[in-house]
Amino acid sequence: MSAEDFSILLLTLRVAAVSTLLILPLGIGAAWLLSRWKGRGKVSVETFLSLPLVLPPTAVGLVLLEMLRRSGPVGRLLDRAGVEILFTWKAVVLATAVMSFPLLVRPARAALEEVDPRLIAIGRSLGRGGLDVFARVTLPLAWRGILAGTLLAFSRAFGEFGATILVAGNIPGRTQTLALAIFHRTQIGRDASAFRLVALTVVVAFAAVWTTEILQRRRSRYAGRDVTARPAT
Amino acid sequence: MIELDFRLPLAPFTLNVSARLEGTAVAVLGPSGSGKTSLLEVIAGLRRGAVGRVALDGEVFLDSESGKVLDPEERRIGYVPQDSLLFPHLDAAGNVRFGLKRGAGEKTFAEAVSILEITSLLSRYPATLSGGERQRVALARAVATEPRLLLLDEPLAAVDVELKERILPYLLRVRDEKKIPFLYVTHNAGEAGVLAREALLLQEGRVRAIGRVDEVLRPAVLSSADPDASFENVFAGVLEPIEPSDSTAYLRISDEVRLLVPRPIGVAAGDRAVFGVLPDDVLVSTKGLERSSVSARNVSAGEIIGLEPVGADTLARILAGGVEWRAKLTAAAVADLDLSTGKPVWIVVKTHAFRRLR
Repeated sequence: MSAEDFSILLLTLRVAAVSTLLILPLGIGAAWLLSRWKGRGKVSVETFLSLPLVLPPTAVGLVLLEMLRRSGPVGRLLDRAGVEILFTWKAVVLATAVMSFPLLVRPARAALEEVDPRLIAIGRSLGRGGLDVFARVTLPLAWRGILAGTLLAFSRAFGEFGATILVAGNIPGRTQTLALAIFHRTQIGRDASAFRLVALTVVVAFAAVWTTEILQRRRSRYAGRDVTARPAT
Repeated sequence: MIELDFRLPLAPFTLNVSARLEGTAVAVLGPSGSGKTSLLEVIAGLRRGAVGRVALDGEVFLDSESGKVLDPEERRIGYVPQDSLLFPHLDAAGNVRFGLKRGAGEKTFAEAVSILEITSLLSRYPATLSGGERQRVALARAVATEPRLLLLDEPLAAVDVELKERILPYLLRVRDEKKIPFLYVTHNAGEAGVLAREALLLQEGRVRAIGRVDEVLRPAVLSSADPDASFENVFAGVLEPIEPSDSTAYLRISDEVRLLVPRPIGVAAGDRAVFGVLPDDVLVSTKGLERSSVSARNVSAGEIIGLEPVGADTLARILAGGVEWRAKLTAAAVADLDLSTGKPVWIVVKTHAFRRLR
């Protein structure tokens, strides 16, 4: 692995980590709302939130680009505040955050839905406020699903290409992540060095997805036991 | 004082409760699916959708007119659901401590643990506890928060709670030592009679009867509303220091009445104990019996105070030595013995018909 490869890996890990940390509170919040919401329109909202999973990443990238350009609705505000996002590492973070958001929300929502609402109710009747019960009951019972979603989102952020290239370009040392570098090297005929990067992505992605699988397979160590089952005494 | 006046639409009917209860010790009875659990959940604030008014000792929990709904965490109600609902990720100690503020509550924790006798369970997780043990931990968890009112959903109905594991003896201790008012859902008229002052009988979401416990628990009324109702004879008393034998003990339940029961293991004289006898195991004789002529050790003269139909059989209510007994008799037996209210009879119960509740 060359020094260049290493700095590309570092940049990619960094933006993927920042992106994941960014969506974590938002994603848990959205997952929690979706897990409790039973009203009309729930399916539509869920579908909308899942769109990045199925849309061409370039389509998502183009929408982001339009919103963020100086004349765009968000770009104008950012410009006034003196914040520059497009074609910086922040744009990479933004693109990967949007693309990986649904991968966090879906497993987290499923895990939160498995938490018996009556346990939450009991927690509150014992005198604990809603947030307190969320931290002491809901999260501890749903952490596997949330962690699984976090790792999936991180993997997605780690390998994102289409949306990133549209809003962040492919600038070596600034916005060039592993996925972009592989594309770049292939374009200029450095196939062997591109494969070195491919190997790197495989190692990181394998570790993340493998951990996710293990977490989801074991589920909660409490969920497997029937709460009303006779004890094995 | 518990004031209830609310409606809650449930799937097959609307729960419609209008009642004022003194509220120190209330038994809630009624067949399965009559709305008992929903009633408790409305009081605890765990069930939305109720319209009307709910208040405890003047504090309004729910008042649809003014739009007031008090959050469950502000009601200070200790709720023990049928399936205990312990937090599966916390050990028993963690469960009992859940409602206690950090640093505070060590005294109430220790008290609850001692009354419910769960010291040996504290480090165990709910999945490793038996149904009865779980109920005790759940009751300790509620008691430790020093609630203004305890709501207990019948633990016996939880399939895995064995008869001997019944929560009743512990509830008696909570009642007598902590003096926390409670509502207790049960199918067992005997338990209700020992434990409660008032009773509320629900049928299909409506109050079928309400009032003093002995009035509501009349077998004819109760059994017509709840075919599963049990009329077990339940006696709470103190074990006497006199030792009739190695295997038996006297349970003193009043100044005049003491019963010869199987000696419980690990219990000393002076300890409280609760025993039950099924009405099926109480014999009735119209002739006086001498203890020297019959093997059963509990023989007592009394008088029939009521004969009430329960299904195809008759439940005879007999006052003997100041204690009411219930004996289940066939119609043929009632006819052959020519039983009627006011008739003097003798009741006969074998020592081994008594089962210790715990």
